[in-house]
Amino acid sequence: MFGAGAMTNSIDEIRDADLLFVTGSNTTEAHPIIAMEMKRAIQRGAKLIVSDPRKIWLADMADIFLQIRPGTDVWLLNAMANVIISEGLTDDDFIARSTEGFEKVKAATAKYSPEEAEKVTGAPAELIREAARIYATTEKAGIYYTLGITEHTHGTDNVYCLANLVLMTGHLGKRSAGMNPLRGQNNVQGANDAGASPIFYPGYQNVTDESARKKFEEAWGVELSPNEGQNLNVMMKSVIKGKIRGLYVMGEDIVISEPNASKLEVGLNENCEFLVCQEIFHNVTTRFADVVLPGACFAEKDGVFTNSDRRVQRVRKAVDPPGNAREDWRILIDFAKASGYPMPDYASPSEIYDEMAALTPKVAGISHRRLEENIMGLQWPCPDPDHPGTPTLHIDGPLKGKADFQAVEYRPSDELPDDEYPLVLSTGRVLYHYNAATQTRREAGSMAKIGRNFIEMNRKDARRLGFHDGEIVDVVSRRGRIDAEVMISPRMRVGCVWMPMHFEESRANLLTNDAGDPVTQTGEYKVCAVRVEGRNGNGHKNPER
Amino acid sequence: MSSTEFDIKINGRTCTASKGETVFEVAAREGISIPTLCHDTRLEPAGACRVCLVEVEGQRRLEPGCAWKVSEGMEITTESDRIERHRKVLYGLYLADHDLDGEGLPVETANGNQLRELAQKTKPLALHSVDAPRVGRPEDVNPYIAFEPDLCILCARCTRYCDEVEAVNAITLANRGSETTIATAGMRGLLDTTCELCGGCIDTCPTGALIEKKSPDPLPADAKTVRSTCNFCGVGCQLDLHVVGTNGTSRVAKVTSPPPGETVNDGNLCIKGRFAYDFIHHEDRITEPLIRGEDGELHPATWDEAITAAAEGIGRVKEKYGADALGFVSSSRCTGEENYLMQKISRAVYGTNNIHQCSAT
Repeated sequence: MFGAGAMTNSIDEIRDADLLFVTGSNTTEAHPIIAMEMKRAIQRGAKLIVSDPRKIWLADMADIFLQIRPGTDVWLLNAMANVIISEGLTDDDFIARSTEGFEKVKAATAKYSPEEAEKVTGAPAELIREAARIYATTEKAGIYYTLGITEHTHGTDNVYCLANLVLMTGHLGKRSAGMNPLRGQNNVQGANDAGASPIFYPGYQNVTDESARKKFEEAWGVELSPNEGQNLNVMMKSVIKGKIRGLYVMGEDIVISEPNASKLEVGLNENCEFLVCQEIFHNVTTRFADVVLPGACFAEKDGVFTNSDRRVQRVRKAVDPPGNAREDWRILIDFAKASGYPMPDYASPSEIYDEMAALTPKVAGISHRRLEENIMGLQWPCPDPDHPGTPTLHIDGPLKGKADFQAVEYRPSDELPDDEYPLVLSTGRVLYHYNAATQTRREAGSMAKIGRNFIEMNRKDARRLGFHDGEIVDVVSRRGRIDAEVMISPRMRVGCVWMPMHFEESRANLLTNDAGDPVTQTGEYKVCAVRVEGRNGNGHKNPER
Repeated sequence: MSSTEFDIKINGRTCTASKGETVFEVAAREGISIPTLCHDTRLEPAGACRVCLVEVEGQRRLEPGCAWKVSEGMEITTESDRIERHRKVLYGLYLADHDLDGEGLPVETANGNQLRELAQKTKPLALHSVDAPRVGRPEDVNPYIAFEPDLCILCARCTRYCDEVEAVNAITLANRGSETTIATAGMRGLLDTTCELCGGCIDTCPTGALIEKKSPDPLPADAKTVRSTCNFCGVGCQLDLHVVGTNGTSRVAKVTSPPPGETVNDGNLCIKGRFAYDFIHHEDRITEPLIRGEDGELHPATWDEAITAAAEGIGRVKEKYGADALGFVSSSRCTGEENYLMQKISRAVYGTNNIHQCSAT
């Protein structure tokens, strides 16, 4: 709508914000250092709105907490837009100057009254009104969101709704005011920036754009495919269907990380004819590998990571990789050569970066040499070697000229609870572990804090089902069954349960739904229907044993 | 000069200051160093340690530079005989209640000891040592953070950090007088409190009374420090990796944050960034290339064999089914350069745009 998926503000702008709207982000656990900046803003007097199905830690500090039903974000956000429009709180100058399509959104949100929204979301109408008012009327108001917004079959719609709020209030292009997806992994921003994308070459240059393709064909000396590729979720479905038969997987445990994991395992076994894994630890995926190439961890190689606020920073080699393991960039060069391609003999990642920068206007001014001098890193866009980088995006209006409003209608989540699977499961991350936990499960403190999988549930659900805290139960969805320890928690809504996604021996992604968002194909990790069965005859619908 | 700016004098030098600033802040900007133990730029001034006392023209008593707000025309003196006398007595009092080495100086710790540095500059008044009945929590089994009461000067930087920055309030000052100590609720171990094991208390402690259990002793003098970027979430915290040993056997022995104010994390780290580095040298690391044999098991191979097998296997699939029957999964855990190479391999070497990483999920 107004540019690439990246924070429009910088992390250090958070402390000066006067309003933080945190939605679908358990910031204190998933981005603890950004949460410290939020806490600093709050201690300074900034207002905080939190919307989340779980009463997360930040909710305790919030001025307004909207504990919505999972998957009802569109209702909440459209109702906030409705209030802002009907109470005349829009920034009409900004709308006229920098946007298009406001009338569509005005018409579409007319029926999303706070009272109706209360029925769907469970958040009180008066709180929705209040949240809309303080968001619209506070100058330095920033939105912070993460996968609680995007991991839905309507994830793109959720993002559109947030962007509509930003555009109608003009909270863009200013310090501490903007729209900020907090990126989940150290270099997820950098991987996208570098073109690890089925539709973009490095720097978001479209593969279907002929002039871009020509440029890369010339640089690389080969003809390139004009067709968009498959994104990861589609790729995994293609493996299941037998359409993709060879995979090269570097640094990801696709089996533990992708939704509906058991079908994927069958696909890897029966359809995938060749699988290369480049990894630092064995994981579930390497069990299926034909060749395993031992790579290097971050402390063993040089390069750059790009963080959430588009900041390119150096990674420096501190120690050698263990045994015969090698730096991943060296492995990739050798693999390309063995495949018959004249990959240049790059002496260092610095030379690889220079090749990319020469083809990528967004980072054309960045080099390892400049990063040695800039201790804080450089934030793209940074188009030439004299450019200081860009802390805040859209200062001179939206990058694309005019930003489009997108009218959005509510669609329910793909799988809703029913008699057989009566609870709504959401999944996520805890502070003490990281993703597939290959690193953190080897760490004493992380394991001492959380050593096994758990299912968080409201006391009322636990009592109704006859569970006590700490009891081992089975969690069952249409796709799989895993065990977990009951954690009775005041953070949960009645009817909703939550599990972390870290544990290999009890994989939440055996349960989750791989139904994808129509635009991004992102799986619906945040909503699927489950039932919980006890081991002693308690719980809902015990299987006959 | 804007309307909220005015001149003050520090040690006779004219300095521009703004309303709301402290003496310490203006002096730091002017390059005038005022010693302190209890001050941390991330925290509200506490004026607890009394090390930063300065003379303020017109004030009868010495005043704490960290907390004293400047006003127009104020004249400050940061070094004088009077201040020096104050420091001698103050440091003497601290030393009387501190673990001392053979030379009578505060002991060196893994985290440095700023009291030792001060006592080396200004000879403290010799006083009889007191045996303070301050208690620690020796039974606390958390794997990361220990507290040594004999090194504590009760400046409360740790408890204020836990409150003001991390905002979990796991530790607090407890008891009175010489029994005052750093405590938890009910003196429980940190694992049974709201502590999130961020280790910020270790980092802010000026005397090394909070000890990193994974690295309790000072590192050897030839330890290297390598600045890098954390490999966990997307905040991009900067880390200093402390490396001991020589080529081939070198190890990351400790991780700290660069000082506050220098990098995006402002001196802060979380449990993962500060402590979760054991994986680097873990025995489970894959150390040999592996090829699956006829028996269905993975077997060690040379790099030549493995790279050739990988290229042949992927090439065979392309030959049989076409380039779009291949998928390349790159990694948001790897560097930008490696992601660039991976997409180049997918596109230029194999001819497919089926290249992605976990950002869809």
